Amino acid sequence: MTDISDGQPQVEVRSSATPAGRIVIDNQPIEFFAGDTVAIAAIRAGQHPATGGTLCLAGDCGNCCAIVDSTPWVRTCQTKAKPGLAVLRQPAVGAPALNLTPPKSAVSSPIAAVIDVRHINADVIVVGGGASGTAAATQASADGHTVTILDANEGNEVVGIYAGPTVIVRTPEGMRHFHAHEVIVATGAADLQPACEGNLSKGIYTAGAAATLAETHIELDNALTVTSQPVRIVADDNGWVSGVVTADADGNDVLSDCNSLIVDLGHMGRDLLSRMTDERAVTIVGPAAEHYPLPPCPTSGIVCSCSKVTVEDLDGVWLRGFNELELVKRAALFGTGTCQGGVCMPYLRSFVADRAGSVPEPFTARPISRQLTIGEASAGAYADNFRMSPLHDEHLKLGAQMDRFGGWWRPWNYGDVLGEYWAVREAVSLGDVSTLGKMVVSGPDVVEVLERLYPNNVHDIKVGRSRYVLLLNERGHLLDDGMICRESETRFVLTFTSGGASFAEMWVRDWVETWGLDCHILDRTTSLAAINVTGPLAGELLRRVGVAEPPKFLQHRHETVAGVPCHIMRLSFTGEASFELHHPVHRSVELWQTLMAEGRALGIKPHGLQALFGMRLEKGHVIVGMDTELDSSPRRIGMEWAVKMGKPYFVGLEALKRVEPLPDHRRLFGFTMASPAPVEGAPIYHDGTIVGHVSSSFDSPLLGKAVMLGWIKREPFPDTVTIDGRTATVSAPPFYDAEGRRARA
Amino acid sequence: MNEFVETLLDLHWHEPKSSYDVVIVGGGGHGLATAYYLATRHGITNVAVVEANYIGSGNSGRNTTIIRANYGIPESIRFYQHSMDLYKTLEDDTGCWIMHNTKGLIWLAHTESAMRSERARCQLNTAMGTETIMVDPAEIKQLCPQIDLTGSGRYPVLGASHHVGASTARHDRVVWAYAQGAMRLGVHVLQNTPVTGLLMDGDRVTGVKTATGNISAGVVMSAVGGDVTQFAAHAGVRLPIRTHPLQAFVTNGYAQGFGPIISDTELLSYVSQTARGQMLIGAEYDRQQSFSRQSSFDFLQSCATKVSYLLPFLKNLRIMRQWTGRCDVSSDFSPVMGFTPAPGFVITTGWGTWGFKAIPAGGEAMAELIATDTTPEIIEPFSLNRFATDHSMADQGSTGTR
Repeated sequence: MTDISDGQPQVEVRSSATPAGRIVIDNQPIEFFAGDTVAIAAIRAGQHPATGGTLCLAGDCGNCCAIVDSTPWVRTCQTKAKPGLAVLRQPAVGAPALNLTPPKSAVSSPIAAVIDVRHINADVIVVGGGASGTAAATQASADGHTVTILDANEGNEVVGIYAGPTVIVRTPEGMRHFHAHEVIVATGAADLQPACEGNLSKGIYTAGAAATLAETHIELDNALTVTSQPVRIVADDNGWVSGVVTADADGNDVLSDCNSLIVDLGHMGRDLLSRMTDERAVTIVGPAAEHYPLPPCPTSGIVCSCSKVTVEDLDGVWLRGFNELELVKRAALFGTGTCQGGVCMPYLRSFVADRAGSVPEPFTARPISRQLTIGEASAGAYADNFRMSPLHDEHLKLGAQMDRFGGWWRPWNYGDVLGEYWAVREAVSLGDVSTLGKMVVSGPDVVEVLERLYPNNVHDIKVGRSRYVLLLNERGHLLDDGMICRESETRFVLTFTSGGASFAEMWVRDWVETWGLDCHILDRTTSLAAINVTGPLAGELLRRVGVAEPPKFLQHRHETVAGVPCHIMRLSFTGEASFELHHPVHRSVELWQTLMAEGRALGIKPHGLQALFGMRLEKGHVIVGMDTELDSSPRRIGMEWAVKMGKPYFVGLEALKRVEPLPDHRRLFGFTMASPAPVEGAPIYHDGTIVGHVSSSFDSPLLGKAVMLGWIKREPFPDTVTIDGRTATVSAPPFYDAEGRRARA
Repeated sequence: MNEFVETLLDLHWHEPKSSYDVVIVGGGGHGLATAYYLATRHGITNVAVVEANYIGSGNSGRNTTIIRANYGIPESIRFYQHSMDLYKTLEDDTGCWIMHNTKGLIWLAHTESAMRSERARCQLNTAMGTETIMVDPAEIKQLCPQIDLTGSGRYPVLGASHHVGASTARHDRVVWAYAQGAMRLGVHVLQNTPVTGLLMDGDRVTGVKTATGNISAGVVMSAVGGDVTQFAAHAGVRLPIRTHPLQAFVTNGYAQGFGPIISDTELLSYVSQTARGQMLIGAEYDRQQSFSRQSSFDFLQSCATKVSYLLPFLKNLRIMRQWTGRCDVSSDFSPVMGFTPAPGFVITTGWGTWGFKAIPAGGEAMAELIATDTTPEIIEPFSLNRFATDHSMADQGSTGTR
């Protein structure tokens, strides 16, 4: 039986009050009073805040969503009106346009800098300031807890409860991240919405919405209240309710005229938020925890107003075998709009219960509960800075094009790659190698540590000498490479690649701890800068700045250079005589400027990574990460000479022993061919089949041909291959100065 | 009704039997596609697909639906390109509208080394018949007018590789299309039937144990996602797999206005607009391994930040829902398909963040493997024994993970 009673019109008592301002809806100004939400201001002005649909005015459904201040899908019932606020209605059919214009504050500004974010440590958080929330808060307070109540009606919308429990809250002042000991969810109950034909009309309110309007002294025009599901709702040409059809005691349809319809159909637990979390320190109290009876199975109309799903749609998918709630949901896209099942779930469950004969569980609730923008979500995110060498500004002054490489800003070139190349090959050049990993290791067990860490021999490195080494992981795959310099019987300096340094530091420390050996580690990566002085005139430049007798190849020593204390390491990556000057970062600019000034007469030019990569390729030097892959073993990159399998132990030895007898089916080779050099990454063909790819390539100005490193991953390994449609010859590097005379000169 | 309500598919459910020629554990895309190809290509229909929950309830229903083949090793490019080709004709083959939409995928590069990697990718893709070309910033702006080429001043765009044939499809519908096709030919799909163990005869797998009884099988295939290491352990099979959560989120729906899939090799995030108009946004998997499907705000915050650098217009869009799937990641970041040391037990796993795109080719190959008792050449490189024989298929750079 349907119970229809007359609505109780409220007397407008605010007539003497003055409006607080105007908002603009669809370019039409309307007045609002202090405390009004946008939705209430619209209703006060005789309008629907959107294009239709039952209003709950409680933030549960999505029927009042509009474009507020150019953000679509904002629940206007949760948005306070403020002077000048611009509101646009979204289209009744279809979706709002994807905004192509970024918000003014967003262009090239620090991410979401305008949104205030605070992290707050809290004891007890109570979500919901209604009867159950207040009771829970009072109790918790009596128990000695400090309680924070978050109420959506006061603008504190809880987005989600995440691990911790951490409660993310969207407030008018910004984002608040509460890190709580305990969370009590007291979100109360939501009103059931009507599910019948005509329920997208304007002028329909839930009982709760009607109560809210009454509190704000808004009088509904010719209102009628129904307490059971209408047969249908009738609307006029403008989409406003003009009547409601209900069934009388005999089941006959009865039409009652009205201009406003209040539907009082009962409640459902407002449990979206609590169902989204599985945190142990969350309790649910009051109506939110209650199991309300499901409404009768809907028979007509839109049952999911966000996705516009009708009962016919549900029947359609049900009859075609989508026979459980989750499948029905997904096939009909039911409950996948703004309300996320918040108000439509009882109807879906009731439908499935009717068809299947048993009541299904609600579908999974996933965060988030109350919407926030991507800007609001990102607010407060921290982004690490990219690292800069102490010589960064010097590079910029010299016109360097900077590039990020291995976590650092580095000079890619100084505008003249060829000039930089020839400066190294024929005169002298500086390279900023401050980014290299640098570590001092010392102590009684240091030799034992290094023998275990590195596959090469360490004990026979003489004091004052250095050696190139590979660093392997437990699988025997290449992690990094670098130099070992022996400073005394019990003290060494290690270098690592720029990108690998921070991992290497962790790696070395962890192994030392694991082995329990007596070895001290000092990472000097960022406290020391380093300049590589390289080229046939590098020794001459050093002499000019006070190094009477520069070290010989693979020697190293501590000496003052141009008044700056340096650790000079003689080695060679470019193929020419090279002296790495490691020195305190605060003396770096001075040293660089002195070397540049003194080198002017020798034709000095600094070189960037681009020239360096080419020069090292002429020498066949591998760059870890560019020429190597995740599973590159020393054998595969042709560096078995750097591995002493006869050692009792080193990290990776077991793995290398396991694969030693297995056939090797992939290997890094050197190749040469006529210029131009193919693009790095070019496939390598043999007999018409792809057998690998080029990992590095360079048009050697000196050799007048292309030199390459590349992988062949198919046996038998061929002598000639086809790259870029041309013949290339497998050729063991180095391609330039194979005897290493220039590096030793 | 909304235009995306499913109106074509028809699912025919069957009562379970106690014995089948083939039992496939896992009613997601890979399991159902295998059943479909067993039935359609090989006439093997005495097959059950056993699903713990509802079909598509695992990663098939949780992924970001990107279909691409722009991998970094020839074996993978060939496999995924074949899968893309099968996707293109899947609507015709199954008679189902899977909302397949070719949009192109742009992988942005912000450094010279990233440019170098993308150039290499283009080279190898092109050589393997996959259209991936370098595009400069002006071309990127044409393809995606919303992009901020300065990357908010922090991630300037130097260029990108444009994987022209990349596409998306509606994930659920792919699952249902395969389910319908298989069920029509008599394949049984058993929902809400968790497999609790394996029936063994010595080291041979002879069937599955379920809560509702044992089912014997000539061959058992694991198409399990998430719990695969535990499941394979029932057969005494050890897998080099670790499982990480992978999260994503969507905004509300908007009118179509964002053409391509935008992805980023450094920020490891990707953005596309779904057929329903939602902006679908994801990032790399969680660093911490876990079997959990709980979503985190950390993810939402970091992912929202990453995509905002390049697409500032997103900052103004509202987030509607986030979710989490589980990625089974092998030690070389390539899938694991084929025979196991346990006779009668075959496996398809290691699908990491790249399983959805592989559904057609993976299903087709596993069906052929089961039907012929021979490993098809296209998946031979992805056999489990590659780890023992030192033939790993390392390709981390193509997985969108770090």
